[in-house]
Amino acid sequence: MKLAAVDYVILATYFAFVLGIGWILRKKVSTSGDFLLSGRSVPVWITSLAFIAANLGAQELIGMAASGAKYGIMTAHFYWVGAIPAMLFMGIFMMPFYYGSKARSVPEYLKLRFDEKTRGFNAFTFAVMTIFSSGISMYALGLLLHLVLNWDFSTSVLASAAIVLAYTYLGGLTSAIYNEVLQFFLIVAGFAPLAILACAKAGGWHGIVSRLPANMTHSWRYMGSSSQNPMGVELFGMVAGLGFVLSFGYWCTNFLVVQRAMAADSMSAARRTPLIGTIPKMFLPFIVILPGIAAVALAKMAGADGSHLYDLPLKVGSNVKDYDQVLTTLMARFYPAGMLGVGLTGLMASFMSGMAGNVTAFNTVFTYDIYQSYIRKGAPDSHYLKVGRMTTIVGVALSIGAAYLAHYYNNIMDLLQFVFGFVNAPLLATFLLGMFWKRTTAHGAFSGLVGGTIAASLTWGLTVAEGKGGVFGTAYTFPSVMAQNFWIAIFAFSTCFLVTIVVSMMSAPRPEKDLEGLVYGLTKVPHDEGAKWYQRPAPLAICVSALVIFLNIWFA
Amino acid sequence: MLDLRVPSGLFFSILGVVLVGLGILAPDLRAPLTDININLYSGLSMLAFGAFLLLMARRASRAR
Repeated sequence: MKLAAVDYVILATYFAFVLGIGWILRKKVSTSGDFLLSGRSVPVWITSLAFIAANLGAQELIGMAASGAKYGIMTAHFYWVGAIPAMLFMGIFMMPFYYGSKARSVPEYLKLRFDEKTRGFNAFTFAVMTIFSSGISMYALGLLLHLVLNWDFSTSVLASAAIVLAYTYLGGLTSAIYNEVLQFFLIVAGFAPLAILACAKAGGWHGIVSRLPANMTHSWRYMGSSSQNPMGVELFGMVAGLGFVLSFGYWCTNFLVVQRAMAADSMSAARRTPLIGTIPKMFLPFIVILPGIAAVALAKMAGADGSHLYDLPLKVGSNVKDYDQVLTTLMARFYPAGMLGVGLTGLMASFMSGMAGNVTAFNTVFTYDIYQSYIRKGAPDSHYLKVGRMTTIVGVALSIGAAYLAHYYNNIMDLLQFVFGFVNAPLLATFLLGMFWKRTTAHGAFSGLVGGTIAASLTWGLTVAEGKGGVFGTAYTFPSVMAQNFWIAIFAFSTCFLVTIVVSMMSAPRPEKDLEGLVYGLTKVPHDEGAKWYQRPAPLAICVSALVIFLNIWFA
Repeated sequence: MLDLRVPSGLFFSILGVVLVGLGILAPDLRAPLTDININLYSGLSMLAFGAFLLLMARRASRAR
């Protein structure tokens, strides 16, 4: 793939705009709250789009097209079974406690509801996770740009990191959020045409269905047993593992996304942030997954000269398919100079939105939950603003370090990524019990988290999938890594849930007056009297549910 | 406070102008699997989106 001058012009225009937005917003930053929390002043349409854009990193974009080509329409379960119900739950039931508690971060909520050790546990694991996630994502991008454009790994990694650093350093969270919205638009502009072109070339949805095995074009029909569908997951593992534990764990407890909703300008806006976000979110599969599915159909079609229209990419020097290259090779087949620049810029934009999300979540958690809690308490606010800024630089530097680590030690990164897949699973049990059962105690929550994490490690160590895992022996063999991941999450969640209940019953309860604003039943949830029906959370959620059920049935 | 619709609208207008220009000046530019002048069509839609955002921002600033 080779870029023309116009493609570089488009890329440069994009860089100029993201930096420009950071430059304009720098004047808005005068306190640590402005820098790390946007001063809770961002309009709701912006927080909603940022809410889904922060999760739409380059790895998700590349990975969704790859999974589309590998598993077919079942990949949409990540959206229509996973993300959407979780986002609805978050907006309706959990946001009142996050926003109403005045906590500045998810770990800080744990401190208010439980105690210091629970906060510490969450703050440290989260800080480590964000750094490695952004490092791994940076590595994936550098590798891809090297493969398709022959750009130097170090140059692309350092240059893209420098731009993210510049605009987050200047304008803090507001700048990251504002740019995420621009980046979201650009991702759609860059990849929607690809989905349309690829789908049209493959003969529309009917053309795709006629060329693919039936279990790649039906999302539910082959879920009965794991041997029938390409993902190797059975119904219970899918619904309980992905649909409940993993998705609710991610969307409801991961500060990276929760932070976007918390930046909204009112409680009502904070609750509507994930709800409005579901509307673009549920149509994203048509942009990010569909090209991958169409690619498989194209690979079975012959052109005028008898050769295939498209060949699924292979790993260098082998016959193993490299699905991660599906997206970029499709771009090269469908986009001429001009649109190619937009597509590539869209890829860059997705990388930056993901990385900025990680960096802004990291600096808030580090500044408030680690630095202010354990290193220096009670300093003037200007001091924490300075620490927040410095942490942004350190966070980016550590991410770059993690990217190089991934470059040299591939296997460690595979493992870490696998671990991040279920690290939120026990946390979900802690939050559900903490928010909805006032009897839950701090000792219960902490033992539950530790127990759940141990259960996750044991399940991983005692089971094998696709030849991986089984460090402590083989008690069970899963049909796929995906199934293993879902079941680890189910075990981790259940263990945490049970241990928390048992230990809570054995320890002394907290007085009810300490729990006001933190727990269901002791918190006043505003009812938005007089607001129009589409501005109220419940009717909004009902409309969204109807739409998503329709999508599930249509593609079943 | 910055109205995000202004920079986003400007960005997509510029992108639209560049792509439409390219679509008109080089109408035969094609990728191996593309049969239409994709630069022109996506350029036009980006221009429309950019103009829409700018219009909305203008309406909001007049209302204030």
